[in-house]
Amino acid sequence: MTTIPETRPAAQATVPRPEYPAPKYRRILGADRSQLLFWATIIILALLVLAPVVPTLYQSVLDRPLYEEGGLFTTENFTRLFTEANFGSVALNTILFAVMTTVMTLLIAVPMAIVVIRTNIPGRKFFGAAMQWPFFISSLILGFGWITMYGPAGFASVEVRRVLGFLPWDLYTLPGMALTEAVALAPIAYLFCANALRNSDASLEGAAQTVGAGPFRILWSVIIPMLRPPIVYSSVLVFSMSIETLSIPLLYGQPVDITVFATFLYKNGLQSVDPDYGILGAASVIILLVTVLLVAVQAKLLKDARRFVSVRGKATRPRLLDLGWIKWLAVAFITIYVVIGALIPILGLVMRSFTKIFTPLQNPLLSLTMGNYQRIFEFPAYVGSIRNSLIVAGVGAVLVSVLAVVAVVVSKRSTFRYRKVIEYLALAPQAMPGLIIGIGLFWAFAFLPFNMGSLLQGTIWAIIIGFGLRALPSAFGSISPAVMQIGEELDNAARVNGADWLKMFLRILVKLLTPAFVAAMVLTFVVMMKEYSPAIFLGSADTAVIGTTMLELWVQGNTGSVAALATIQIVITAVFVGIAGLLTKGKKDA
Amino acid sequence: MPDVAVKNLRKDFGGLTVLHEVSFTIKDGEFFTLLGPSGCGKSTTLSCLAGLEQPTSGSIAVGDTVLVDDSSNKFVPPEERNLGMVFQSYALWPHMTLAENLAMPLNIRKVSKAEQKTLIHDALDKVGLAHLAHRYPHQLSGGQQQRVALARALVYSPKVLLLDEPLSNLDAKLREQARVWLKRLQSELGITTVYVTHDQEEALAMSDRIAVMSNGHMLQVAPPHEIYERPATAEVAAFIGRSNFIDGTVVSALGGAATVRLEESGETINVAVSDDAATGDLVTVAFRPEKVFLTNRGAEVPADAIVLNADIMTTSYVGSRYEYDLKYGSKTLLVDSTTGGLTGAVRLVVPAEAVRLYPRADVVSKDVAELMAVTH
Repeated sequence: MTTIPETRPAAQATVPRPEYPAPKYRRILGADRSQLLFWATIIILALLVLAPVVPTLYQSVLDRPLYEEGGLFTTENFTRLFTEANFGSVALNTILFAVMTTVMTLLIAVPMAIVVIRTNIPGRKFFGAAMQWPFFISSLILGFGWITMYGPAGFASVEVRRVLGFLPWDLYTLPGMALTEAVALAPIAYLFCANALRNSDASLEGAAQTVGAGPFRILWSVIIPMLRPPIVYSSVLVFSMSIETLSIPLLYGQPVDITVFATFLYKNGLQSVDPDYGILGAASVIILLVTVLLVAVQAKLLKDARRFVSVRGKATRPRLLDLGWIKWLAVAFITIYVVIGALIPILGLVMRSFTKIFTPLQNPLLSLTMGNYQRIFEFPAYVGSIRNSLIVAGVGAVLVSVLAVVAVVVSKRSTFRYRKVIEYLALAPQAMPGLIIGIGLFWAFAFLPFNMGSLLQGTIWAIIIGFGLRALPSAFGSISPAVMQIGEELDNAARVNGADWLKMFLRILVKLLTPAFVAAMVLTFVVMMKEYSPAIFLGSADTAVIGTTMLELWVQGNTGSVAALATIQIVITAVFVGIAGLLTKGKKDA
Repeated sequence: MPDVAVKNLRKDFGGLTVLHEVSFTIKDGEFFTLLGPSGCGKSTTLSCLAGLEQPTSGSIAVGDTVLVDDSSNKFVPPEERNLGMVFQSYALWPHMTLAENLAMPLNIRKVSKAEQKTLIHDALDKVGLAHLAHRYPHQLSGGQQQRVALARALVYSPKVLLLDEPLSNLDAKLREQARVWLKRLQSELGITTVYVTHDQEEALAMSDRIAVMSNGHMLQVAPPHEIYERPATAEVAAFIGRSNFIDGTVVSALGGAATVRLEESGETINVAVSDDAATGDLVTVAFRPEKVFLTNRGAEVPADAIVLNADIMTTSYVGSRYEYDLKYGSKTLLVDSTTGGLTGAVRLVVPAEAVRLYPRADVVSKDVAELMAVTH
């Protein structure tokens, strides 16, 4: 089919051909409609991102709650934070917690990535998938699961104490917190290392083999040095995530009075009768500074890390190294992580949800009950929280993904002067802990003139904005590579053919980005389903989500119903991801 | 169809000038080629014509329509220029059939459905693909995709056709055929065409005129024959076809002739010069390998020819001819010959009309120079 056709006789050349003049596009004040879209995008993003930040900064230097009249500027909040509020020890706890979490996360994730991606252990595919499981479960639920099994009165703890006469571990300590958090965050670090290993050029290893290097030599001299960039990057990422996390420090730290940044905000903002907004603002600002700094470091590292990508697109199949008997050690190690870290706690939680009492002292099967679920479905407030979670995750997934697609395309594919700013704005919420987004938006709504904030305050829209802001960076990050993969010549062809930027976007890119858009929606749904921390400040009785309701039931000591709600959330997520997986798979085959 | 006039086109990228005040005019119906190595500015020039890049300064006009003019701050966006363009990757929209690909520019121009149908059929027919109108691009071979891209660029009868290395992704045999076919189609349509390529053979075979570019400058704009036979600079001579270069110094110049002492051997030669050369000028002598011949010492040669004494190092048989590498001083000279089996000391005869003299220029890349240096 590669023969060249004869050209037709040159009849047309002499006949004057009809003209099809290029279209004219209307301009408003010299700006075409694409420009208007660019400006709309940047304004929406700026409003969303600045809404929680500006009031927080303002509050931190104000001597009274920012919605009260006659506030005066002061630096007293910061002085009081460090003298009265004991913030120093909080900061120390936070750093210890974050360092331990980071170290443990890497100890789990890095060997796992090497073993799963680059060696011939049996069941590689299965372990690769199993490593992703904890991502779909919120760390709040993982925390509940761990307490249910390994807490002071946990199922496993009781059994171990019965056998040994004592309990060799204590979950309610900084190392205990860090271990659980590390299990929750390991998938992220794993993902970075695994990708780096997958993308690396197999011929590098081949070259090492030709000069006589054995598998361990290759591991040590070629593979591990190659992993340095993803290790450095993911440790900064994990560090900053553990600085802002609330769930596990709250569950483990509250009973024994270990306070970190997030629980400090939680205590001072929510649990005290008369919250000291000045201290809350000052603490938020300091935490923001730390996270912004860390995210800036991440961005810099990621930029450098790209230079290490040895080959793109070329499919060199990595050769698997044979580790001999050590591979069984590796398999045992991974199994322990998956089974003890994730599977047993979650199964325990599910078991707990179906029993009255969950202890090895009595066969749990004898106390089977649906009572925990019954209680949830009896109270409209609890049912409401499930409905709210579904609405927030569903509506939010669509809105956030639409915003993310537009933001990615404008920032990567337009000539808009501030396209870089759009990218920074969309990624900025990475540096904003959920609690601070909650507090900041709460203040922003209170601060809005003409009482406009009351339109949003306490409504489900406030929750959608808060959660959506948290999910935006991941949506942006998941769509952006898809956009980069579409050749820019496709855009240019449309432009030369007569489409202005907007038409090109709608007719070409939107269609080509549909799979990436669906993937981003699934991701955003999962992220927003897991999310709860902004709702702690933004929620009202009517707008509780599953996460906040679980916390409330936990405080009441109603662990059975917590387990039931957790199970429901896991099922929702699993069903949604499963259906989405089937749908997208069917599409690819067609 | 109108002329294309480009004046003082300049493009800076972050402090780096990739296009230096380039000016040229393309005549109505002309096949005009921008030729040069990668990074020479040819693609930037084409992008400025298409409106995909905004030049830093300068002006572009097609007929009476001004597309870009920095003095009046005018910039017509690509969608309003009514040009046709074929991209190196063809840039067919993968989610649309061929017919839908061609319908898009017509839809935008609000052409009626009935008329669209005829136009699309005619355009696909012209490239011999009317029977595949409802296929998707990925179901086509590379050569077919390239023709669809051309059909899409022509379906709305644009004023000018821009081609960005459209043949570079085809395999060698097909490329040669496609070249002939494309040239014929272009002359039948009589459409003004700007063609970008780094392939000199393509440029020589297809163009009415070629603009040779290097480092953002236009070195020479001329018909193919003139470009090859009378390269304006040593760089053009080096880029188009093969050339031997020997550095030298003018020792005396009188009227239309100059005597040059060659650095390599100290030999002096007499060369005809068109413009003024002065004693002491550093020059580069250039001649093409197929314009010279080899004789044994003592054989007779034309009176005005230049004769250099050299030694044969290697012989390569390339089918249609023999290529000899001669050692001349520390330099390697390349000579084509139909006679094989020559060895040892020979005389290299360069007829007077084959010699060109340029101001001293460093035109051979470092890699090549290192390979060509004769080491002992």
